[in-house]
Amino acid sequence: MTRFPTGGQIRQQRRKKRLTQSALAAAVGISTAYLNLIENEKRPIGGALLKRIAAALGVEPSHLSGSENLRLTQDLLELARIYPDMPAEEDQALQLIAAAPDWARAFLQLHRRYRDATETASALSDRLSQDSALIGLSHAILSRSTAIRSFAEILEQYPDLKAPRRRRYAGIVATEAEQLATGVRAMVDLLSSGPGSAMPASPEDEIDDFINYHRSHFPALEEAADALRRRLGGERPSAAVIAERLRTAHNLIIRDEAAGEAADPEDSAIIRIDGTLPEPSRRFALARALVGLEFGDLLAEMAADRRFISSDAAEALCRRALAGYAAGALLFPYDGFLAAAERWRYDLDRLAQQFGGSIEQIAHRLVTLRRPEAEGVPFAFLRSDPAGNLSKRFSTLGLHMPRFGGACPLWPLYAAFRTPDRVVTQMALMPEGERYLLIARCVAKRVVGYGQPETLFSIMIGCDAIHSSRIVYGDAYARDPRSGTPAGFACRSCSRVDCPQRAHPAILASTASTKDTRLSPQAMP
Amino acid sequence: MLRRILIAEDEPYIVESLTFLLSREGHQVTAVGDGAAVLPAITRSRPDLLILDIMLPTANGFEILAEIRHNMALKTLPVMVLTAKGQDADRRRMTDLGVDDFVTKPFSNHDLVTRVARLLEAPRRMTSGGR
Repeated sequence: MTRFPTGGQIRQQRRKKRLTQSALAAAVGISTAYLNLIENEKRPIGGALLKRIAAALGVEPSHLSGSENLRLTQDLLELARIYPDMPAEEDQALQLIAAAPDWARAFLQLHRRYRDATETASALSDRLSQDSALIGLSHAILSRSTAIRSFAEILEQYPDLKAPRRRRYAGIVATEAEQLATGVRAMVDLLSSGPGSAMPASPEDEIDDFINYHRSHFPALEEAADALRRRLGGERPSAAVIAERLRTAHNLIIRDEAAGEAADPEDSAIIRIDGTLPEPSRRFALARALVGLEFGDLLAEMAADRRFISSDAAEALCRRALAGYAAGALLFPYDGFLAAAERWRYDLDRLAQQFGGSIEQIAHRLVTLRRPEAEGVPFAFLRSDPAGNLSKRFSTLGLHMPRFGGACPLWPLYAAFRTPDRVVTQMALMPEGERYLLIARCVAKRVVGYGQPETLFSIMIGCDAIHSSRIVYGDAYARDPRSGTPAGFACRSCSRVDCPQRAHPAILASTASTKDTRLSPQAMP
Repeated sequence: MLRRILIAEDEPYIVESLTFLLSREGHQVTAVGDGAAVLPAITRSRPDLLILDIMLPTANGFEILAEIRHNMALKTLPVMVLTAKGQDADRRRMTDLGVDDFVTKPFSNHDLVTRVARLLEAPRRMTSGGR
């Protein structure tokens, strides 16, 4: 490794203090000739003499020795590796830092801003391609453009058109052009409001973006969980096994508390587990605490992804979300869980029974079965509280869970609150003709005493109808493959103008109607 | 030679322009605007070519195409897909399902008519193009 030019730093600091070589040499008790050799990098320097020189110059020794600039050097070299035309010699980087450290920092800062801008542009582009309102608007605008282009070309290329037909086609061009202008205005409004903003609205949104970008699948965590499970010696570790590992490997004691949140295990030698949690949730909480300790560095490294995570709060949330993922991977082994899911045809209750998990844990694990060579049914996921506040949005390529505002009120996500602990399904027909099998269930998060308020959530998974023959809940719709309930994604982007459940006006009216499809009653197995 | 073309498209003005263009080429054109009506219309009118919009009410074009390619009586029917989506994933999915050609909206009339003529002149496919 090239040596940091300490001598150059000493000379720079000396000149800054307006000291002569002889004055500094006298102050630290060496000859002027020796100081000259040091400043010209002809003699190495360290230890007591470096401390004396630093004291005489009024700076920290690390400032002269270069350790303060080590990070700066590494950053510059990293930059050099990104840009092939840049000199990648460590020597040159060190010289730049020694001679002009402020310029080196400015250069790095400039690069960071450029990188942030590029990543913002990518995130924005990704956002545009996923926003259901924009997809609906794009489709409408393209349809209008198609009609205008086609009729304009007809008017130009067929001079023999009779006058009434010519008038009609010209009228269509005018009408469609007006509709197009409305659509373009709506799109401009949409882009200049919420969804077009460069950064997500909240840390939770950032986590959703991060997870969706990774298609809800993290191979590194799957591998780490598999290895940990082998170390624990069991196919599916029990709560007792996990607690024992926490005690022996991490010197932590588990304490079930009557109420209150489980404390962060990093803060204390005691893990406090909310005693009102049902057994599957208790086991999951212990597993999350364990993976948080065992995979601490991996989780921290993954959560520090500045492409998505912009704040310390979001990073902490992301670590927690990834720990939850790893806990699921530990308790529900990928291969065994996928095999069981296929065998039980994605029956949530049977999987919950076999793996001892809660319905929400099972549903969430199903969403993560996206290993390219061994993929389960690609499910999207959405969770709502009784007030309609949405959380945990995981989308698939076709089924985009709404980011802003509520979801379609016709979805079984909301109907499930009427029948807790029962699965409610729906074959949803979207305005553009896509069909999605939606499966929802209302679950209680903890055991409460009589008269205490329940903590209820409705969770919903959904997939393209093309997969419904693999899923037990799809059987109800197998007899009539065209049946289903007209629905949408969210009111704002939905073109079903006569929907009785419409909560907000549609951005762009279209011909789609709730009456244009055959209805089937919601199946409720 | 008169050929029968079925258009499955829910935007009435696009149907009107296509009907005009293809009729001027000497073809007999019928149209449906609902996904559920496509297969019955094929059985009824026995077209030489189906022009299929991918985003139809009731059943989308992907499902319809899959059914056509799995139906022994219909699997050789040439299908041209009209779509507002031009993304690679959709094109790959269409190709996997055995589409003969696809045109991205907004299309040029000349391009569309040329592609239709090419499909109608091509020998009937011998096997399904699907997986």
